[in-house]
Amino acid sequence: MLARIDDLELVARFVVEGFISGLHRSPHLGFSTDFAEHRPYMPGDDTRHMDWRLYARTDRLYLKEYEADTNANFLAILDVSASMGYGTSGLTKLQYAKYLAACLAYFSHRQRDRVGFVSVDSDIVDFVPPSAKHLNQVLHALDRAEPRGRGSLAMPLLKVSESQHRKSILLILSDLYEPAEKVRDALGPLRDAGHDLVVMHLLDPAELNFTFDAAGTFEDLESGERIPVVPGRLRTRYTELIRDHVTAIGKLLGEGRVDYLMVDTSKPVDEILFQYLLRRERMQSVR
Amino acid sequence: MSFLAPLFAIGLAALAIPILVHLVHKERKDTTPFPSLMFLLRTPYQHSRRQRIRDWLLFLTRALVFLLLVAAFARPVFERPPEAAAAAAGGGREVVILLDRSFSMRIADRWAKAQAAARQALDALGPADKATVVLFADQARVVREEGATTRAIVRAAIDSAAPGDAATRYAPALLLARRSVAESKLPNREVIVISDFQRSGWDVGEDARLPAGTTVTPVDVAAASVQDRAVRAVELRRSMADGRERITVTARVSNVGPAARGIEARLEVAGRVVATSKLDLAADAGGVVTFESLAVPESPQQAAIRITPDGVPRDDALHFVLERAPSIPLLLVEGVTAGADPDIYLQRALEIGDKPSFDVTTRRFSQLAAADLAGKRLVILDNTPWPAGDLGRRLEAFVRGGGGLLVVAGDAVSASTWPGRGSGVLPVVPGEVKDRLSDKGAVLGYIDRSHPALSLFGSAQSGDLSSARFYRYRTIQADSGVLARFDDGSVAVVEQRTGTGRTLLLASSFDGLWNDLPRQPVFLPFVHQLAQYASGYRAGRSVYEVGDAVDLLGVGPATDSSRARGIAYVAVSPLGNRLRIGGTQGEPALIPSEAGIYEVRPAGSPGARPRLVAVNIPARELDLARFDPTRLTHSVSAADNAPAGAGAGPAEASLAEREQKQSMWWYLLLLAATLLVVESMLAYRLSKGRVTAG
Repeated sequence: MLARIDDLELVARFVVEGFISGLHRSPHLGFSTDFAEHRPYMPGDDTRHMDWRLYARTDRLYLKEYEADTNANFLAILDVSASMGYGTSGLTKLQYAKYLAACLAYFSHRQRDRVGFVSVDSDIVDFVPPSAKHLNQVLHALDRAEPRGRGSLAMPLLKVSESQHRKSILLILSDLYEPAEKVRDALGPLRDAGHDLVVMHLLDPAELNFTFDAAGTFEDLESGERIPVVPGRLRTRYTELIRDHVTAIGKLLGEGRVDYLMVDTSKPVDEILFQYLLRRERMQSVR
Repeated sequence: MSFLAPLFAIGLAALAIPILVHLVHKERKDTTPFPSLMFLLRTPYQHSRRQRIRDWLLFLTRALVFLLLVAAFARPVFERPPEAAAAAAGGGREVVILLDRSFSMRIADRWAKAQAAARQALDALGPADKATVVLFADQARVVREEGATTRAIVRAAIDSAAPGDAATRYAPALLLARRSVAESKLPNREVIVISDFQRSGWDVGEDARLPAGTTVTPVDVAAASVQDRAVRAVELRRSMADGRERITVTARVSNVGPAARGIEARLEVAGRVVATSKLDLAADAGGVVTFESLAVPESPQQAAIRITPDGVPRDDALHFVLERAPSIPLLLVEGVTAGADPDIYLQRALEIGDKPSFDVTTRRFSQLAAADLAGKRLVILDNTPWPAGDLGRRLEAFVRGGGGLLVVAGDAVSASTWPGRGSGVLPVVPGEVKDRLSDKGAVLGYIDRSHPALSLFGSAQSGDLSSARFYRYRTIQADSGVLARFDDGSVAVVEQRTGTGRTLLLASSFDGLWNDLPRQPVFLPFVHQLAQYASGYRAGRSVYEVGDAVDLLGVGPATDSSRARGIAYVAVSPLGNRLRIGGTQGEPALIPSEAGIYEVRPAGSPGARPRLVAVNIPARELDLARFDPTRLTHSVSAADNAPAGAGAGPAEASLAEREQKQSMWWYLLLLAATLLVVESMLAYRLSKGRVTAG
């Protein structure tokens, strides 16, 4: 798995250094080297960006505007609630999410973004503020993240929105065991603040297909609640409910222009990364 | 079909194992962690206890394996009905129907059910079958069928039979059945016992095993519950008041069933009620009723105690004969050479007598006359010579005619005073007097305690005859009839029968001089026993039971013409039947078959005073406790060592057939093993399917 991650790093480096310079474009038009357009001068504008050549030809004052492709904030928000500690395909959802977050943080760092990290359950657990020099801290915080407590996104995401004044790319990694409406509402403050939200919904294949056979007692990893269950009798109903849940979240978040990706943790991490990068590229081209 | 080891059916409880496996144990005891029950909680609640059995085919296979194993270990045996078996064997059946007609069969509808069962058994006979009906109570009687044409005779015998008053005994009937079965050449034998199975009728010590291969089928006709009151026993206590003998009658009444109050008990004498009393009976208990004493009539009278009749009236009365206490009239002839009162010990001993008493007439030898012998049953010659002349002949005739003679051989008895051994009445001639005073006297070294005269001393703590010391006695040598000897071998007591009478000779005296026997505690019973035996006395009974042999001595001699016809007595039964009692061998005896009063007269003397014989239902028959008929079946069926007689072939065939009938277990085990293989394959497939699906 790690070897494949290394390969993915090479691919990412090639992408970053090659043609996908806009893996994610800066949401702000800046004054970097790439000219974008002219706009009429408005009183108060910095005269340093005045295009004097054009003034000489046209006798009108225009300012030069450039596209900035770097120095964005990338903040990985990782759900570390106890339910993320579940896994049947070799990796728990939390481990899977750590790899994803680490990879994407590294990519972002390589394109000179500021990377940060927040781990949450029903509150903020760990926080590394975004910085161009915080990759190691981010990776370190990722490494020490352990599943714990009950999860609820509303409160920690509200706090994140209040602490992040710069528009950032927020990657939210969670299993989203909340009603779709609550998930949408939890993301509301971040979305309203203009952040670019990417939600990765991680689910184990056992959660998706409910492949249990023997009747027994099922225990909720977060609440500790136990109920007797006959899997064969409710498998169909359960899979209907989980798929409805995924569909509902995807629909609601799509309506809110939130980038949503359902992640089956039985699939290779690089496949998800490629899927994500390609998706981002398509979105970039659409923009 | 039946099972040889039905206890293995307990193993059916093992069926719970596959049921539990398919129901309860399907639920794992360890919990399954799951990220969130958010969606599970929204599904309808499902618990393992509410689920049905899964994998029905596998479950049924496993259950069938258990069933087959249990059935195999229980050893199933296929028994065909007797009719089918007989038909299959190609031969007929020898069926012996034992029909109980004892008194207890009168209770409720037992007899009707018994007759119906017997008729049903007859109806089930095939044309090749042969039946023997045995009616039994304390004795058994055979009604045999020789062919189908006479089957009506057997049926008529069953229809006409009725329960009697006798007790139940299974052994005679089973012995008859054994004989019938053993003599039969038919391949199949069956004995059907139709009875109420009274415990008192079955003695496990009696050997009544049936030949091997005989099927025993008990038919129990006893009612579930029984209610019966009965007069079980009577006790007569005699006393003397104002010179007259009086008697107090006490009766014991039993009650089987609920409590009964105010039961009237009547004492009847000669058909008249002379006293009544009331008594209360607790449930399943007994009671005692005592009537006021009454004077004993001069002549024997029939008497009875009756209680309020119930459903079985025959045992509500107990009959007995009210008569004077028995007494032995005897003549005591005192010696001629003795002292002033040489017979004092003997007289005192005879005065004490009771049950029977002794009516003693004392005569000095010199005053003895022939008339003194009249009406006497015993003459005691206490140290006297043999009477000479006519008196001697009369005495000889008395003995030969059945009278008793006890000779006490003191110093007056010798060969000279008893010429010709007293016309042959004396067993031996006493020899010389032997004086053992020097060695502190002789003792009795040998006593024939099996002899009726001395059997009283045979039991423990019943008196030690050897405690007496004999200082002088006459030496007597005899080889036969010796009842006792001294320690030197000389005869002490010897017996001789003359005609129908008997003579006892004691080789010492009763005067207390030649021995100290009169001063020993055993003297009184010794004298009483010798006197009773010599007189031919037999203790009479006031009450007999049905089936007892009644000794008719004392009834009187029959006329010559009757005797020539072999009839000694004529008895009239309680139901009015005339019975002729006779026979050339031994003493004729009455064996009553009905409860009530029998009147017995000498044959040819219809006007003679009858002897009254009171007969009652046997007490053991009134004990209505029952036993398990299978005990009888097992006891008489276990005859693997008994010879089967003519039926040895069929018996051997029966063993082989029995083994063949039991071989079913082998096939059951084979089938179970096959099913186990199928079960393994099924379980593997199902398990594999689940793994693949998971």
